[in-house]
Amino acid sequence: MNPTSKILIIDDEAAVRNVVKLALTAGHILSEAANGAEGLEKASSFHPNVVILDLGLPDMNGLEVLKKLRSWTTIPIIILTVTDDEKTKVALLDAGADDYLTKPFGPEELQARIRVALRHTGLIEATPVFQSGNLSVDLNQKSVLVSGVPVKLTNTEYEVLARLVRDHGKVVPQIQLLRQIWGTAEKDQSHYLRIYINQLRKKIELNPSEPIHILTEPGVGYRLV
Amino acid sequence: MSDESRLDPDALLKVIDVEAKSKFQGKLRIFLGMSAGVGKTYAMLNAAHRMKSEGKSVLIGLVETHGRAETAKLLHGLEVIPKKSINHRGIAIEEMDLDAILARKPDIVVVDELPHTNVPGSRHEKRYQDVLEILDAGIDVFTALNVQHLESRKDTVESITGIRIRETVPDSMLDRASLVELVDIAPSELLKRLREGKVYLGDKAIEAADKFFKEDRLTALREIALRMTAERVDQDLQRFSVTRNDVPWQTNERLLVAVSHSPYSEKLIRATRRLAYNLESPWIAVHIDTGIKLNDEDQAQLVKNLQLARELSAEVITTTDTSLASAIKRIARQKNVTQVVVGRPTRRWFRDVLEGGSLLARLVSESHEVDIHVIRVENFTHQRPSLWTELALYRTKTGFIKYWNTLWFLSGITFLSAFAEDFIGYRAIGFIYLLAVLIVGMFGSIGAVLFSATFSALIWDYLFIQPKFTFNIALPEDFILCFAYFAVALITGFLTNRIRFHEKLMREREDRMTVLYGVLKDISESKNKEEFINKVRTRVDELLEGDSGVILKGRDGLLDFSGSKSYSYPLDERERAVALWTFQNRKSAGWSTETLSQAKALYIPLQGASENIGAFMFRPKKKARKFGPDQENMLYTVVGQLGLAIERHFLSKRIAETQRLEDSEKLQQTILSSVSHELRTPLTAILGSTAALEGEVAANPLAKNIVKDLENNGERLNRVIENLLDMSRLSSGVLALSLEWHDLSDLIGVVIKKQTKALSSHRMRNDLQSELPLIRIDFRLFEHALTNLLLNSAQYSEQGTEIVVHARVKKKHLLISVEDQGPGIPEEYIGKVFEKFFRIPGTLPGGTGLGLSIVQNIVELHRGTIRYEKNEPQGSRFVIDLPLEPQPEIPEELKE
Repeated sequence: MNPTSKILIIDDEAAVRNVVKLALTAGHILSEAANGAEGLEKASSFHPNVVILDLGLPDMNGLEVLKKLRSWTTIPIIILTVTDDEKTKVALLDAGADDYLTKPFGPEELQARIRVALRHTGLIEATPVFQSGNLSVDLNQKSVLVSGVPVKLTNTEYEVLARLVRDHGKVVPQIQLLRQIWGTAEKDQSHYLRIYINQLRKKIELNPSEPIHILTEPGVGYRLV
Repeated sequence: MSDESRLDPDALLKVIDVEAKSKFQGKLRIFLGMSAGVGKTYAMLNAAHRMKSEGKSVLIGLVETHGRAETAKLLHGLEVIPKKSINHRGIAIEEMDLDAILARKPDIVVVDELPHTNVPGSRHEKRYQDVLEILDAGIDVFTALNVQHLESRKDTVESITGIRIRETVPDSMLDRASLVELVDIAPSELLKRLREGKVYLGDKAIEAADKFFKEDRLTALREIALRMTAERVDQDLQRFSVTRNDVPWQTNERLLVAVSHSPYSEKLIRATRRLAYNLESPWIAVHIDTGIKLNDEDQAQLVKNLQLARELSAEVITTTDTSLASAIKRIARQKNVTQVVVGRPTRRWFRDVLEGGSLLARLVSESHEVDIHVIRVENFTHQRPSLWTELALYRTKTGFIKYWNTLWFLSGITFLSAFAEDFIGYRAIGFIYLLAVLIVGMFGSIGAVLFSATFSALIWDYLFIQPKFTFNIALPEDFILCFAYFAVALITGFLTNRIRFHEKLMREREDRMTVLYGVLKDISESKNKEEFINKVRTRVDELLEGDSGVILKGRDGLLDFSGSKSYSYPLDERERAVALWTFQNRKSAGWSTETLSQAKALYIPLQGASENIGAFMFRPKKKARKFGPDQENMLYTVVGQLGLAIERHFLSKRIAETQRLEDSEKLQQTILSSVSHELRTPLTAILGSTAALEGEVAANPLAKNIVKDLENNGERLNRVIENLLDMSRLSSGVLALSLEWHDLSDLIGVVIKKQTKALSSHRMRNDLQSELPLIRIDFRLFEHALTNLLLNSAQYSEQGTEIVVHARVKKKHLLISVEDQGPGIPEEYIGKVFEKFFRIPGTLPGGTGLGLSIVQNIVELHRGTIRYEKNEPQGSRFVIDLPLEPQPEIPEELKE
């Protein structure tokens, strides 16, 4: 892991900042901000590689901070939120957040998100081959192997999987999947996605009803791990 | 496209209107005959049988067989609605059961003898009104009618046969009919049937029948019937050709008829209606109140005439003016009338003089822009009103008492003049008398002016002009003086009188404006609805001498008799039924109307611009008194304003309510998000810290256990928070389901993965039917429901036992069940497990008793059910039963 990654945490709760601090292994340089204004200021002076942003800030709405950051930088932003409401999550992703974490969260989840975020900044090198457990997908070769055995996918199934592979580790909103693969953003078409995900799981998961690769983010989308 | 080929929008609208109306209303089919005995009932029943064989539901509302075997045989196989018995003055009389027909809602109902008059106490005065209500309910009606019973043909038929016809049906019924079928038979054939006793003529009509059934008369009647049908065909053709766009532009004719209190007006009205029908033009019936006082009989005739006009679908206008001609001219101009129908003048010369010239003469000379029809008095047994009746029109309000007063007044003047004569001379006395006539003109009627001018001239001549005590006049200049006096007295008296009448009219108009203005003021100045309703009621009560009331629509869409206190007298069942009828049918009913006229009060529908609001009621202090047309107009205007005001009030209240709901929803959302933030943020810190501590204390078993407890309790707290938030969301009623197609196995996977830790103490197993259908659910809510079920099972069953999730499809329902091997739920608590905050006594601590209640709420939001069953050999089984929707289409690629 790249030792020089710089992480900015914007949260008014010192306890939460401590949890983040504890979860992050040595090698990350951490900077803290207790409110939105300070966060925005530090984002420009500290040049973080990843921003962890709490939605509930004392001086301004986290969404506002997100929009302001997005107006000048593309650094990965992970949102900490308390709500289960999928509409809020979709809105966050739409506004440019890279990912989100629902409170309360465990240290492993946080570490995983940061790893993914760093990879997308290019700090961790991306390869065309995705390898996770018994699943391996080679986007160059257009080949999918499960425990070393080639799996035959239909064109659409492959497109869905490839889209997830390109952003692996990150949540891919279902609306993006629908738009990019079927050219439609209609919620009514979401059953296409369900059917294809179901098919894909049958082909690449050992136990399709308890998937370990294609995970569902309720109401938001899918995540490949 | 040239102008000529354009469609007439008015005509098109009319066609659309007729078509749209008939879509929601029942279709009327009339079997028209020239007289009794042509076989209308027979034809009608045959048609009913045909309809039945086509699969329509046909009921007989009312058919009298009159003991004829042919007809009775035809009734066979058709269901007859039993007649309803109505008690009228101790005699039970049977009438058609309208409510039974409406309740059964058949496709078609057969109702014979359309012109029938119902027994007093029935809902409507006439059977055709019953039929209209049936049609309004969307039921088709077959009915039979003889041509003599049509309003507009009544006169002609009476003149042909010489028989009075009492029961009539408005011509508008024919317009309503979508099909008029002529039942025709040659008169000679009819007479043959009559001789064979095959025609029923009614009990009392035997002697009349002899007059009626003559071949020449029957031929005349037949001609009328045939002509009517031909006219109708012509109309249908015209209506059809309008839509085909090949009819040249027609100027829109508009007719006007002047209606008075004379029975002759009926004839004018019918004649105008016939003209209007043939010209396809709208028509207006105008009554002009010239200030003449009518007696009760005349008033009744006037109301009857106006009612007739209304029935024949005229627009009825009443107005006040001193001159008939100028009023007709005024309205003709306002309404773009092209043709005016008037009667032949029948009144005596002095009325023309008194009322400013003959109407006909003035219309002809002054109205150049309209055609004038003068209707002939053919076959009308018209007598000139007697001289006495015509004079009586000029009596004063209190009868002839005022003439006595005039007499006393003139006697007094004479007495004074007798004293004054020596000082001023007999000629000046004339001026004193002139003054007296002027005074009479100011306070008395035209009759009194006429009387006092004549009387004073005579007295003057007799008592003061030389030679005294004779009517002779010695000097020629006195002779001229006396005549000049008479003329001047008459003219000035009349002029004064007319000025006074004008003043009275102005005052009446002003009164009306004042009342309307007052009503508007009441409405605008009141703080709330109740206040202005009460103010308007008081105003109406004072104005029309009675008790008024307002009954508004309740929440259930019917009238709310309990809620509003806006009427001052108790309403019994009967009155309530009338009020309800008025409200639902949007027509006036009760006292002084023709519908349910036995009621004590008059009920007028209260309507806003777009909706039905309730009913306005008015109970007169003296029941016998009827409204004059102007009073009725006034009441309707006031009720109209009141309806609009109440509607406005309702609308603003509704807007405020919506606003409040929105606000409370916003507040709810704010509280929810701030509560979740405030509770979950510290939890994040706690759980995050324990995770970090775990590594630190690995060596110390006691500390390790404490950290473990810390973590478990933190997670438990998190679940409680989740449940509380869910519960408040579900019970706030502001939750909107976000339904999408989902895969059940995906849902189960998500739940099991999320709850891995909490469920790790048990063995989890899935038993899902392969190829489960997709379900339309709110994923997040359903995830919570399933989580709660699984955690509930884990909590109440031994560690290490098995929890199984089943899913299978059964008869278009998806059954999802969760089974455990715990102790199960004791029999006596089974009914209570889904109640809020219920926990089985004696169970382990932990849990709020909300979990299962939330599950039930969520499942019911998805129109499913949940039930508890005993699991064999032991344990609980919760079964969610979801109705399956038709599956969405499957992508092409996967179909093979």
